[in-house]
Amino acid sequence: MAAIIEEYLSEMKRKAADFWSLYRRNKFGMVGLVILLFFVFLAVAADYIAPYGQWQTNVAPPFSPPSRQHLLGADEMGRDLFSLFIYGSRVSLIIGITAALLSTFIGGLVGLISGYMGGWVDDLLMRVTEAFLAIPAIVLMIIFAAILGPSFTNIIMVIAIVSWAPIARIIRSQVLVVKELPYVEAARSVGAGSGRLMFKHIFPNVTPLLFANMILQISGAILAEAALSFLGLGDPHHTSWGMLLHYAYDNGALAAGYWWYVVPPGVGILLLVLSFVFIGYALDEIVNPRLRH
Amino acid sequence: MGLKEYAIRRGAETIVTFFVLMLIGFFLFRVMPGDPTAILILNPKIPPQTRQMLRKQLGLDKPLEVQFLYFIKNFFKGQFGYSFHTGQPVIRMILGYRLWNTLILVGSSVVIAILLGVLLGVIAAQRRGSKLDVSLITVSLTFYSMPVFWLGMLLLIVFSVHYNIFPLGGTVSAGMHYSSWWSYAADYLRHLTLPLISLVLIQIGYNFLIVRNTLIDILTEDYISAVRAKGLPEKIVLYKHALRNAMLPLTTIIALELAGIFTGAVLTETVFSLDGLGSLLYEAVDTRDYPVLQGLFALIMVSFLVANYAADIIYALLDPRVRYK
Repeated sequence: MAAIIEEYLSEMKRKAADFWSLYRRNKFGMVGLVILLFFVFLAVAADYIAPYGQWQTNVAPPFSPPSRQHLLGADEMGRDLFSLFIYGSRVSLIIGITAALLSTFIGGLVGLISGYMGGWVDDLLMRVTEAFLAIPAIVLMIIFAAILGPSFTNIIMVIAIVSWAPIARIIRSQVLVVKELPYVEAARSVGAGSGRLMFKHIFPNVTPLLFANMILQISGAILAEAALSFLGLGDPHHTSWGMLLHYAYDNGALAAGYWWYVVPPGVGILLLVLSFVFIGYALDEIVNPRLRH
Repeated sequence: MGLKEYAIRRGAETIVTFFVLMLIGFFLFRVMPGDPTAILILNPKIPPQTRQMLRKQLGLDKPLEVQFLYFIKNFFKGQFGYSFHTGQPVIRMILGYRLWNTLILVGSSVVIAILLGVLLGVIAAQRRGSKLDVSLITVSLTFYSMPVFWLGMLLLIVFSVHYNIFPLGGTVSAGMHYSSWWSYAADYLRHLTLPLISLVLIQIGYNFLIVRNTLIDILTEDYISAVRAKGLPEKIVLYKHALRNAMLPLTTIIALELAGIFTGAVLTETVFSLDGLGSLLYEAVDTRDYPVLQGLFALIMVSFLVANYAADIIYALLDPRVRYK
């Protein structure tokens, strides 16, 4: 038994090393990884790096421009915008990653069942998928968020509900191909049941595709959270970058030209989303043989 | 399968999808908040008698399946009730100038973004791996990653506040009298410019990447080598033979992306206070204007289903392979 595990582990190690040597040569992938690690560091160490707390008001005059004490100036309540920027990375990362995990899970499961079962199950699931693809995410998102109310978990759920459909479609078409492969036929002929075939034999073959799509889902989820918060549907107990932009907009920072209130949160969203897009782009080039040079 | 059978099959599927969406809409508006009139409590302007009246009017005392039939019947009659906020019939609020403003914004942005995306995509595909190619990819991925409302805010700060070239928002200048039709159009365009730029920039990146990658793929195919071997100039190979096939995936992708573009339009309209469907949606949520929300949901749902169906048929017309699958 120990020998089998050891062999398995060394196999995994070899695969990971192979992957890493391909990934390392991809410039986009490396830039994305570095940016991502930077924000992960900010989010984890926020309590130690941020000079002020999230709720410490009046540490500077309201709307004061950047200065030595307050690198990014202050908001309308005199909170330190540099500290708020650091704390904002937490919300984006946590919501982005959990919502993407959830939507990938739902989409993967629907795609797997739909593709494997075929028949009326497939028809029904695909009509539901199409329904979710047809309607603009923001319409459902706004209505769901308004009904459910603004809380951290609700936002994650809302984003997952509106974004699983593309994954279901991609995974379904891959399952349709994989289930016709001879090894699946062989497994069936020795008596493997539906569940075993789906999860043990077909599922491992679609995981690389699922993973690459999950990375792109994260970037979509971060943008979705920012949009919801910007529209004032975010959780007011957690300061996020989108919410900072909401407050900036609501308090007339634009007309007054307070660029220091508007620019940094957007740069944060942009860079974090970009890091996942770059990583996804690199993974696509590695996984998708047609794009390989 | 012939084109006719394909159209019928897709049509039947679209109708099923329509009912699935109706069911989702029904549950969203009827079941989740207890009942739709519960949301009225949040609006202090509305007296409690109205709630009682509305419950009866909406048939909320009846069993669920009967309610669902009412829901569908009212939908086909275009009866979405009256706005809680303005008192106007919802259908008139939606199918008026707001619809036109959104159509103009979304339509022109899609056209401009396709033209620019194709142009840049061809340039990059010709020079694959060059510095220009890599920088175009980087720039388009950057715009792709940008929150559209933030891009709008940046444009406002630079061009409206700092340089004072464009207005800070609105569809036209408030309280202005126009001497001619022409001066109205000029004012409208001045207000449209910045929102249009933000919506175009957000889309270009995606179109560019699609055209570039498909072209690169196509340029390695046998028929291109054959055309080249015939000695045709590279320009004709590219524009006459390769680009034609590269446009095919773009048509389906744009149809699929239309929903995403609408999402961008909602946010853009909100930032620039444009009187469109997007800002109406936002206002309806803000004021808990339930009939307006429901009407918007229905209208948007139907138009996107129809657009998707049309895109499928057009694609089948353009590419016969789809029909015979």
